[in-house]
Amino acid sequence: MSGSTPPINWDPMIVGFLAGFISRVLYLRSGKSHNPGYPSGYIIQLAIAVISAMIGSVVIVALLGKEFTAATFLTLAATQFFNVRSNERKTLEQEEGLILVGRGAGYIEGIAITYEARNFLAMLTALATSLVSELNIWAGIVGGIVFIVFGEMYMSGPRMGELVDVKPTELRFEKGSLLYAGSVMLMEVGLADSRQRLTKYGMAVTLTPKNARGQAALWNIAQRQAIAHEAAAAVGVQKDVGYPEQTPLCRMDMPAGTGIAAFAIIPVERDMEKLIKAIRNVPVLESGKWARMHDSRKRKEDAHG
Amino acid sequence: MADSPTPAMFAIITTNKDSVMSGGMAPVFVAANDVERDRVAMWLCRITNAIVHDLHNGTVVLTVSHSSS
Repeated sequence: MSGSTPPINWDPMIVGFLAGFISRVLYLRSGKSHNPGYPSGYIIQLAIAVISAMIGSVVIVALLGKEFTAATFLTLAATQFFNVRSNERKTLEQEEGLILVGRGAGYIEGIAITYEARNFLAMLTALATSLVSELNIWAGIVGGIVFIVFGEMYMSGPRMGELVDVKPTELRFEKGSLLYAGSVMLMEVGLADSRQRLTKYGMAVTLTPKNARGQAALWNIAQRQAIAHEAAAAVGVQKDVGYPEQTPLCRMDMPAGTGIAAFAIIPVERDMEKLIKAIRNVPVLESGKWARMHDSRKRKEDAHG
Repeated sequence: MADSPTPAMFAIITTNKDSVMSGGMAPVFVAANDVERDRVAMWLCRITNAIVHDLHNGTVVLTVSHSSS
């Protein structure tokens, strides 16, 4: 650095940093239903937000200041963020053995991927905003807002409520011991005591897919496990070790294969509204997004009609 | 995964001795009547974390899943 280089213009960096930071912090709001749910978790997230926004915003300024070494540090930092994903996965997997209704591997992977992606998104937002700010500071501020809104729209995946209809239904027993929720057979309950508890305290909903995509999501067992977890987290579940038949269950309408699923739970808090809201809010898992799945019967009807 | 168990037969409790043959992998408990059968089934299931299934021929079977809790 000699006297010939112009003084560094800090404004693009500041605007870029703020845009990246806000983009990362906004995710904490949508992520609060599952994780993090405790102050120390938020501190970790905020620290990562600061780091990723910082890295993204510093690149353009460093390049313009002909500090190429500094710019290459971006790639170095990117490798560090891969650890964020495996750390997140490790934490959630550890928790899996400690909770009665697990998230399931599919849900955990989804959360971990989203965490990693959010850090890169914050970095990219900071980078793009600082680039625009380099041209004009006001354009940079407007651009930052556009990038944040765009990122928020693009990154928040669909929720179950958009793909399936959730409606309350009743629990009943057929043939003595087969537990039904609506038209869907859930399981065989051999203990009279458990049957009584299920009919007395149980709550059930049916999940009817609105389209082929909703049906694809429901056929995915990881998706249904995620539903069971979120529902149990919302209304609680009367279950303990030694009571495996009181596990909340989400099962498809088999062998009819209509694509309708039903969910039964013995809640602590008997609040149907809350249960339905929680299920509608479950994110559609990546492993459940079979874009190419079609309902063969429906396709035949379409072809004839 | 909690939602996709692979159950294994753990015990068989029956009031109808003729409907079960011994020599399998699960012990057979013979109960005098349905009440006694259900009581034994309940105890065993709470102790061993098993799930009870009724075959509706006087026999109930207990299954354990490797990942159930």
